[in-house]
Amino acid sequence: MTEDNKNFVLFAVVAALILFGWPLIQNRFFPTANPPVTKIEGGKTEVVQGKAAATADAPGAIRDRNLVIGESPRVKIDTPTLQGSINLKGARIDDLVLKNYKDTIAKDSAPVRLLSPAGTTDAYFAAFGWRDDGLAPPAAETVWTASSPVLAPGKPVTLTAANAKGQRFQIELSVDKDYMFTVKQTVANGGQAPVPVATYGLVNRAGVSKDPDSWTIHTGPMSVANGSANYSPNFKDVDAAPQKFTTTGGWLGFTDKYWLTALLPDQARSFDGQFRAGNAKTYQADYTAAPQLLPPGRQITQTARFFAGAKEVKLLDRYTDKEGATKLDYAIDWGWFRLVEKPIFYYLDWLFRMIGNFGVAIILLTFTIRALVFPIAQRQYASMAHMRAIQPKMKAIQERYKDDKPRQQQEIMALYKSEKVNPLAGCLPTLLQIPIFYALYKVLMLTIEMRHQPFVAWIKDLSAPDPLTPLNLFGLLNFTPPHFLAIGVIPIILGISMYFQFKLNPTPMDETQKQVFALMPWVLMFVMAPFAVGLQVYWITSNIITIIQQRLLYARHPALLEAPAK
Amino acid sequence: MIARALILVARAWQIGPSAVMPPTCRYQPSCSAYAIEALRRYGAARGSWLAAKRIARCHPWGGHGYDPVP
Repeated sequence: MTEDNKNFVLFAVVAALILFGWPLIQNRFFPTANPPVTKIEGGKTEVVQGKAAATADAPGAIRDRNLVIGESPRVKIDTPTLQGSINLKGARIDDLVLKNYKDTIAKDSAPVRLLSPAGTTDAYFAAFGWRDDGLAPPAAETVWTASSPVLAPGKPVTLTAANAKGQRFQIELSVDKDYMFTVKQTVANGGQAPVPVATYGLVNRAGVSKDPDSWTIHTGPMSVANGSANYSPNFKDVDAAPQKFTTTGGWLGFTDKYWLTALLPDQARSFDGQFRAGNAKTYQADYTAAPQLLPPGRQITQTARFFAGAKEVKLLDRYTDKEGATKLDYAIDWGWFRLVEKPIFYYLDWLFRMIGNFGVAIILLTFTIRALVFPIAQRQYASMAHMRAIQPKMKAIQERYKDDKPRQQQEIMALYKSEKVNPLAGCLPTLLQIPIFYALYKVLMLTIEMRHQPFVAWIKDLSAPDPLTPLNLFGLLNFTPPHFLAIGVIPIILGISMYFQFKLNPTPMDETQKQVFALMPWVLMFVMAPFAVGLQVYWITSNIITIIQQRLLYARHPALLEAPAK
Repeated sequence: MIARALILVARAWQIGPSAVMPPTCRYQPSCSAYAIEALRRYGAARGSWLAAKRIARCHPWGGHGYDPVP
C-alpha cells in the first residue's frame, strides 16, 4: 500500500467516524437546533403539536387545571405580559401564562404556561412565608384575605392573615409590566413576647426541565452565590443529596432554555439557599433569610423579588444593571464566550428591528463581517489565485527534488519569489471565523428572540433544522425518512455552494488531499444538516460572497486563469 | 512521552481540520510539520516553545518563506 493510499484509508475511516459518531456526541455536547416547529407532509406545512395533553389515567393524582384553579379563592394577575392568578390558600403564585409567547407557531396556539398549581400537569409554583421557629406563622392551608381582586402594574395587592398568638402577617405583592414580582413580607408583633422572624421563599416544580441539559446549555437548578453564577448542580445531583449554600446577594431558581423562575432575596442581607428533591419527582429551590428577633409592639418588613418569565436578553440586562438583581443576566447560559456572543446578538437584534426578518438580518450580519475582513480576504484570494496559476511549475519542482524535501521547499520558495506570489495570510483569518460561527450558533440556540422566527417560504423557524427534504419528494410522499438521511433543501444548497467555493481554491498537490477536498463539501453537508437553518444561511451567504469575490478577482486579472489547475 | 502525545496532536490537526482548510501556510515547512520536527529533536518543553513561537510568527503581517527548525 502506498503512502497515499494509506492516508486516504485513514481519512475515510476518520470521515466515517465523524459522520456516524458525530450524532452521538452532538446531542450531548452541541445540541444542533431547536425541535422543528413544522413538518411537511402531503405537500403541506403542518405545525408540529407540542407535548400531548395528560391522559385521564395519568399516574398520581393529576387533575384538570381549571378544576383545581376553581377550587380556592384567588387574586387575578393581569399585566401586559402575564396572565394568571394567586392562590389565596397558602399565598402561592401558581397560575401564570406568558401572553407574548406561544407553544407552537400555529396562529391559535395556546400561550406558554410557566406556573401551574400543585396536583396538575407540570405543577410549578412559588410561595413566600415565615419559618416556624416559635413564630407560629400561617400554614399552607391558611386562606389569606386580599385587599383587591386584581394584581396589575402599579396596583399592588396586600394579603393579610393572623395567628392565635397576636402576630399579624402581611404580604404585599406588586408586579412590573415585565416579569418581576416584588414581595414585601411584614410581621407585626401584637403579642407579649419577642418572636424570631425569618422569611423564606420557595419555587417548586414537578419533574425535570423539558429542555435537555447539555454541555453548551444548562437547564435545571441554577443559582448566583458569592459573586459567581453556578450552572450546576443538575437535577441528578439534587436527587442524590440536597445542595446548600450561603451568600449575600444572588438568587436561585430553575432555568429552562427560554424560561426562568428566580427567587431574589434582599440583595444586601445574607441568606441560606438550597435545592432539594421531594416526593414523586418534585424539586424545590428555597431560601431562608437570616432570623431577626422582633420585640412586642414592633413590626418588621423584609423584601424579596421573584422573577417568572421569558429570558429576554435586554430585560435581564436591565434588571441586572439598573435594578440591582445580582447577575440575573447570567441566567442565559452564554458560557465563557459571552464577550463575543452578546455583541453579535445585540447587532443582530438591531438589524432585525430595522428589517423585520431575522433571516435577512443574518445575511446582513454575514455581509458586515465579510466587509470587515475584506482587505485580508482580498489579498488571500489574490495569492491563492496566483498559486493556482503557477501550479504546473510547482509540480515540476516537486518531481525533480522528490528525495530532498528541504531542497524542494527552498526551490518552491524561490519560485514564489521569482513569480512574485504574495505569501498567504496564514491560517489565522480562517480560524478567526470559527469563534464568530460558534457565537452565532449559541445565539440561535439560546436566545428567546430567535425562537419561532421565520425566514422565507417554508422556513418558519430559523433556530430549527430545515423540515423540507427531497427524500420524500418534499413531503409529497407520506413517509418520514430516517432522521440521519433526511437532509433538508438548505443544507443541500450549502453543500453545493461549498463545492463551488472549494473548486476555486488551488488544488492540493497531494493526491490524498485532493480526494479529501473533493469529498469534504458533502461530508460537511451531512454534518451541518441537523443544525439550525439560521447557521446554514450564514454559511451559504459567506460561501457565495467568497465565490463572487474570487470570480471578480479572476475577471480583473485574467492572467491568473492562464494555467488552470487540473 | 509528553512529546509523543503532542506529536500525535499535531498529526491529528494535519489529517483533520488542516486537510479541510484551503492552503494558507506562509512558511515552509508548515507549522504542524515544524512542530513535529521540533518536538522530535528538542523534546516536549523546548519543542513546544519553538512551535508556539512559530505559530505566533504566522499572521498576515509576519514573515514568510523557508523557515526550518533551528
